[in-house]
Amino acid sequence: MDMTFREKSAWGLLVGIGLVSIFYFPAAFDIADSVPHGAPLIAISIVGVVALVVIEAIYHACIAIPHGHEAGEEDERDQLIDLKAERISSYALGVGLFWLVGQIIASHSSERLEPMSALTIGVWILFALTASEIAKLIAQIVYYRRDA
Amino acid sequence: MAPTAVRNSIRKLRFEHGEMTQAELAERIGVTRQTIVAIEKEKYSPSLEAAFRIAEVFGEPLENVFRYESDKR
Repeated sequence: MDMTFREKSAWGLLVGIGLVSIFYFPAAFDIADSVPHGAPLIAISIVGVVALVVIEAIYHACIAIPHGHEAGEEDERDQLIDLKAERISSYALGVGLFWLVGQIIASHSSERLEPMSALTIGVWILFALTASEIAKLIAQIVYYRRDA
Repeated sequence: MAPTAVRNSIRKLRFEHGEMTQAELAERIGVTRQTIVAIEKEKYSPSLEAAFRIAEVFGEPLENVFRYESDKR
């Protein structure tokens, strides 16, 4: 496929964030629900961030070579696609956070539900941020492919 | 992005200017080659500034390069 550096970058970030999320979030929710302090959560968060940075650094170094000076530059179409994708991402984040607020209120007002811990809320916020970033990357790729 | 109502003659003008490549045109107006491809296929309307730069490269007035078709939606 004929892709710009930025489109390849979006694919790489999507795959990288997706892969790290598949391993990180089940473990993070498990720890947040079962461990009363945040040390193990911080430890796996550091592992997750380091893994993502390493994957992305290697991938971007590889794709930057054939693109030369074009890598890192963005033109007006890239900027327009970025803005449109950001709008979709912000809707996704808004929906995610609105849902979370509802869950927090429900868990604290119902006797049948256990109140959400601060750690669990923190992991859900991180999950909403990650989901909105994934929505942005998918939107970017769709816009780039529709133009191709 | 949906097809635009802005038509253009860039392909023809490139041919008339010694088969100028999309990459060369992109380099001269400061965008990526894929953006030129999208403009040529009428899937992306360039900014006014980019449109003027394209017309300048071909030494043509803007209306000889781009035209607006209001009934195309």
